Amino acid sequence: MTPAERLAVAERPERRFALALAAPAVAVLAITTTFPLVYLLWQSLQNINLAMPGMDRFAGAENYVRMWEDRRFWGALGFTVVYTGVTVALQLVIGLGMALLILQIPRAQWAFRIVAIIPIVLAPVVAGLFWRTLMLAPDFGILDFAFRSLGFGAHNWLGDPRLARVSVIAIHTWQWTPFVFLYLLAALAALPADLYEAARIDRASAWRRFVHITLPLIRPAIVIVVILRITVALSAFAAIYAATGGGPGTATEIINLYAYRVSFAELSLGYGASAAVVLLVLTMAVAALLFHLRRAG
Amino acid sequence: MRRPAGTGALRTAILMGTAAVLLAVWTVPVLWAVLTSVKNEKEVLAYPPTIAFDATIKNFREVLTGPTNIVPNLTSSLIIAVATTILTIVIAVPAAYAFARLKLPGRKPLGFYVLATQLVPPIGLIIPYFLIMNRIGWMDSYRGLVLIYLTFSLPFAIWLLVSYFEDIPREMEEAALLDRASRWQAFWHVVLPQARGAIGVTVVFVFLNAWNEFLFAVILGGATVKPVTVSMYNYINTEQTQWAQLAAAALMAMLPVIVLGIAAQKHIVAGLSAGAVKGVTRR
Amino acid sequence: MTRRGAVKLAGVGKSFGETSVLRDVDLEIRPGEFFSLLGPSGSGKTTTLRIIAGLETATHGHVYLDGADATLLPPGDRDVAMVFQSYALYPHMTVFDNIAFPLKMIRTPPGEIAAAVQEAAARVRIGHLLARRPGQLSGGQQQRCALARAIVRKPALFLLDEPLSNLDAKLRIETRVELKRLQRSLDVTAVYVTHDQEEAMSLSDRMAVFMDGRIVQTGTPEDVFSRPATVEVAAFLGNPPMNVLPASLAGGRATVGSATLEVPGLAALGSREVTLGVRPSDVALDGAGAPATVTLCELLGEDVIVDLDLGGQPLRAKRPGRTRLAEGAQVHVRIDPAKLHVFDRASGRRIEP
Repeated sequence: MTPAERLAVAERPERRFALALAAPAVAVLAITTTFPLVYLLWQSLQNINLAMPGMDRFAGAENYVRMWEDRRFWGALGFTVVYTGVTVALQLVIGLGMALLILQIPRAQWAFRIVAIIPIVLAPVVAGLFWRTLMLAPDFGILDFAFRSLGFGAHNWLGDPRLARVSVIAIHTWQWTPFVFLYLLAALAALPADLYEAARIDRASAWRRFVHITLPLIRPAIVIVVILRITVALSAFAAIYAATGGGPGTATEIINLYAYRVSFAELSLGYGASAAVVLLVLTMAVAALLFHLRRAG
Repeated sequence: MRRPAGTGALRTAILMGTAAVLLAVWTVPVLWAVLTSVKNEKEVLAYPPTIAFDATIKNFREVLTGPTNIVPNLTSSLIIAVATTILTIVIAVPAAYAFARLKLPGRKPLGFYVLATQLVPPIGLIIPYFLIMNRIGWMDSYRGLVLIYLTFSLPFAIWLLVSYFEDIPREMEEAALLDRASRWQAFWHVVLPQARGAIGVTVVFVFLNAWNEFLFAVILGGATVKPVTVSMYNYINTEQTQWAQLAAAALMAMLPVIVLGIAAQKHIVAGLSAGAVKGVTRR
Repeated sequence: MTRRGAVKLAGVGKSFGETSVLRDVDLEIRPGEFFSLLGPSGSGKTTTLRIIAGLETATHGHVYLDGADATLLPPGDRDVAMVFQSYALYPHMTVFDNIAFPLKMIRTPPGEIAAAVQEAAARVRIGHLLARRPGQLSGGQQQRCALARAIVRKPALFLLDEPLSNLDAKLRIETRVELKRLQRSLDVTAVYVTHDQEEAMSLSDRMAVFMDGRIVQTGTPEDVFSRPATVEVAAFLGNPPMNVLPASLAGGRATVGSATLEVPGLAALGSREVTLGVRPSDVALDGAGAPATVTLCELLGEDVIVDLDLGGQPLRAKRPGRTRLAEGAQVHVRIDPAKLHVFDRASGRRIEP
């Protein structure tokens, strides 16, 4: 027997066992994700109106053409990019800053850990509702009250298009920065202590030490957490839905919400499907790019 | 080079001050919700908002025993979360072991596939699911919802567990094989007991994500399947929001996951760090 | 009782695609033997052991256990027990359950299991630790637990992968003796992998020396020590290792660097380039001989090691006693030609004069 044949025979029982163990998972995933995705693609080529079922027909690429010319779509795409970019950047900067800060106060760490867990485990829909009602609601919200008391005047946080966008970004950032904080805190804490001793002794160049030693060492962790946060931001839904529903008008519509509204509020499922397909492609493309960058680095 | 006296104190003051501000940012919303939930109607609508008042548990009573109480919703959420967790663990644990440790045919492409399924945006799934579930009569059913919940819990669980399984020393399995254990016995008696911690962490995450899910629940749910995340809206309508009851309901709904989160916080962070650091390689 | 545990490897090799890790391994191990696989790291000795165990499959050649072709047999079907370098104890089980595990796997009745476990534990003197977990044991105790687990099923073949390397030096020597006694009392065939040549020398009935994925010499410790087959083997054995000197032979003289040694016994070899080997203890520093300079002197307690410069070549001598020699002192080196090992310079192979 050739070596290859030998190994094949000897390893056969192990291979079979491995397949038996993994098959259910793969099968379930195929049935629950891949098959519906194929169906989604098919739907995106249809014209489906839930209000008028008899009018369903095959539409080919019509939906995509329509989307290409739809300003609302491009608005949603643009805001998706802005939303994702801004919130992830903020999460990273604030989260990293907090982690560095808390490292300097070891005694406070336990308090921060507990406090940080709570926003993360809240359901996003609850976070959105809390902010919409308890924080920002005019004549009720505490944050609104604080702003007015400090002399910044009354603002229509969720009713003014620009402020609404700021608000939803703020909500998402509020909820997820603690995740980045905890994650990077763990990464920083794993670095050898001497590095910080050295940094502290040589205070004159503390900043340079940070840039040249700490940052490169936690780079892998930063990359991973950024990847995680980007994928979550791209598929954010519940918090925005709860806070603004995508409004006012279409101001806070990210593609996710755009597809939802088109499908379930306007009942045009085929068109909604095509928007979902675009988001799918976008997510895959971004993920592929990030993985590539990660390997290159 | 000596630092001038007093700078240390100033630095500490700035640090502590910033820390306090940060703590406030993340505790105030939740604290305010707690405060609101123990106010009566008059206090709730008072403006400027009050902090000192007579606390009442009326709202909690209303939310738990009143006409629109959320107990059925809590039950519904529990059923969904438990079912999802059990199914996920039963399917994901063996699969993760196969990926991590065994000569699985097609391991790399399959691993990549599992990873890719995590990138599917929920909206891309809910649209076909809506149509399909309607067609096969699985709308407003637990099996329908748990099925779609598996789309996010399975890949995540596998991803998390694989890195833990890789940490278990190979020699232990080899010793078991030499001790005449079959591959299954080696897995069951030797490997699995060591993965208890990992499975615990996975259970926490899967339960959490299933409990908090909203989009799928709101579209595929109905009279039977009505988890707490959807029930929030009972307290909001176009005319008026029942602020205090909303706060109480939200806190009740989030209580299980908050307790779980605080109890397991060390494991949550460890799980995320460990899993992510190793797992996201060329799978 | 028929003796079991005969192992035969015929032309065994292991390669991963293009890279070959092991080549042309031919071995015969007799029942009841204590056989060592000795060599530096990466020389293929552990791979060979794992192939005998069945944890790796040989890509070339055949493995025979007690006459039967076991090349493709799964590890659980071979009558083999192994002690791993890391012991590989099951941390979530008590010591008792660890030792009982192999018996449990073949469905031995619980009463028999208890008796067998007690017996095995008593043999390695851990009978009082049965209720503990591996994490609560010291390194030496863990090792004995691994041993107990291996012997409890009375296997035909007993494989050990550097079982002493995680112990401290003193414990290593004590345990070494115990291991040999254990093997003798059980009359079981043992195959022992180590990189420590002293261990191999003291424990083995026979051994095989591995270098770069091949066996370069097989034989009893005496054979290998007194007649190493290649320069590498020569340099590997002994403490301190054998001196290895490139030399040119011509007419009964060996030119080592700028020094000359009289070696009338090697005149028959004519003129050639060789490598000479001489053990430090065979280097005499009395009276007549080639001049050399002392560069360093190390006191080892019972012996003294003298580092010399012989015509530009480093040379080590070992002599009993405790007197230091001054650095820079001039001495004369005399080597008994009978104690010289001669190797062909190009191939490194031993040449008999």
